[in-house]
Amino acid sequence: MSAAATAAAIRSRQLRAAEVTEAALADIAARNPRTHAFTEVTAARARAEAAAVDATIAAGRDPGPLAGVPYAVKNLFNLEGVTTRAGAKIERGRPAAARDAFLVRRLRAAGAVCLGALNMDEYAYGFTTENAHDGDCRNPHDLTRIAGGSSGGSAAAAADGLVPLALGSDTNGSIRVPASLCGIYGLKPSYGRLSRQGSYPFVAALDHLGPFARDIADLALAYDALQGFDAEDPAQQRRDAEPVSGLLGAGPGGLRIAVADDHFARNGHAEAFAAVAVLARALGATRRVTIPEAARGRAAAFLITMAEGGQLHLPDLRDRPGDFDPGTRDRFLAGALLPAGWVVQAQRMRAAYRAAVLALFDSVDVILAPATPFVAPPLGQAMTELDGRILPIRPNLGVHTQPISCIGLPVLVVPLADPAAAGTPHNLPIGVQLIAAPWREDVLFRVAAALERAGIAGAPQPLG
Amino acid sequence: MAPSAPAAGPPQGPAFDAAAHARETARLIGLEIAPAHLPGVVANLQLAAQMAALVQGWPLDITDEPAPVFVAR
Repeated sequence: MSAAATAAAIRSRQLRAAEVTEAALADIAARNPRTHAFTEVTAARARAEAAAVDATIAAGRDPGPLAGVPYAVKNLFNLEGVTTRAGAKIERGRPAAARDAFLVRRLRAAGAVCLGALNMDEYAYGFTTENAHDGDCRNPHDLTRIAGGSSGGSAAAAADGLVPLALGSDTNGSIRVPASLCGIYGLKPSYGRLSRQGSYPFVAALDHLGPFARDIADLALAYDALQGFDAEDPAQQRRDAEPVSGLLGAGPGGLRIAVADDHFARNGHAEAFAAVAVLARALGATRRVTIPEAARGRAAAFLITMAEGGQLHLPDLRDRPGDFDPGTRDRFLAGALLPAGWVVQAQRMRAAYRAAVLALFDSVDVILAPATPFVAPPLGQAMTELDGRILPIRPNLGVHTQPISCIGLPVLVVPLADPAAAGTPHNLPIGVQLIAAPWREDVLFRVAAALERAGIAGAPQPLG
Repeated sequence: MAPSAPAAGPPQGPAFDAAAHARETARLIGLEIAPAHLPGVVANLQLAAQMAALVQGWPLDITDEPAPVFVAR
């Protein structure tokens, strides 16, 4: 059941939050072992929150727009009383969080019920959610394949119907990559839109938080609930909330929509470009635009990420390198050794790259681009062919997402309702990035909702 | 400023020796790298050097400032 339908049923007293919560907990107990999306189930907390919602309704008060809606968070969000593990063995010995993350507090205030924490790549440095400490997260559409990452647990849990809403983080593509590979909607808002307070940091200059959902109305409900100013995030901009739920019927009329070419028409398999073409046809988008120097933008993101990540974890790299996940350790070590000149040049170039890209939005409102270069690869597969070269999968899963997030543009990943329309291997899901100018999440939701109404966008049902 | 020239190649100069850089820089900052981890570190530094070549190929003006997030409050 969707978040919207669940909240409506609870608000109208057709269901109680307590029974919705018990059903969700039972479902997780029965089905989570197949994907290993959850790393911690907060059953006592969920029951207490559900009871509070039911009590609020019984007292005749407003329980909030997400009354009784189950959700879960990537395990880098602070949950009061739970140790924030950030996918790392090293963090397991730390004290429990004293307070919920800001976005968790927002969802609680909206009446939502937190069911637990979700699997991820160690310290969010990866695109696969293959985790040596917590176990690999599996794609609900094919359990032999990755869910994507680093918010893989968030995408897998939502795609598999364990929760209608989940939260993740996106530094270089960690919401958009798993949303595409698991076939659900994911939103990486503008940099500075949502508070990151109470989340385990990775790259201060690039970290974003955002929601996942199986339909656009639910994604909008979550996004609307998450907005709000928080003085504790030094990067958040002070802006009034700009809700989008009321805009979903507006349609894309008047919007100038184009397809990204050059870097975004290369570096992928046929299904990634076919998926973009399906959306472009449905929207009547025939224009193509070039995001200038995207490969250099990606390179800047790569260097800034490596350097900030390596510096962040330097004390543990010195004292206990053997406790890092082998999948991340060598990259963190290398990051600690980067020449300063490379990183400063990357930051200077990033500002110039942003200026060049923003000029595009004088003549276009929404840009379509692949979200992932291919569908979900098998777990453990290291290499794949891209444009005639054999390349490592892990860094290249973000080849189309990194050039966008490193300048903070808002992106909504739309899943193809019928992956066969893009000829995906084994009918596996795939998504497309809708990209807009900073602070224009509204146009992304309008386009995504129109695509969903037309039957082009939608979350395919996992098998089994 | 936007780049005024087509994509440039890697910067001129001596080739980047990732293995030597890893050994020497780690020693200088007191970061011990186990022999088993060194090949992975070197491979990642080589990839970073390719990225650095791309970044350094963007012609910057002296007025191009970095893009960190800092707001005086």
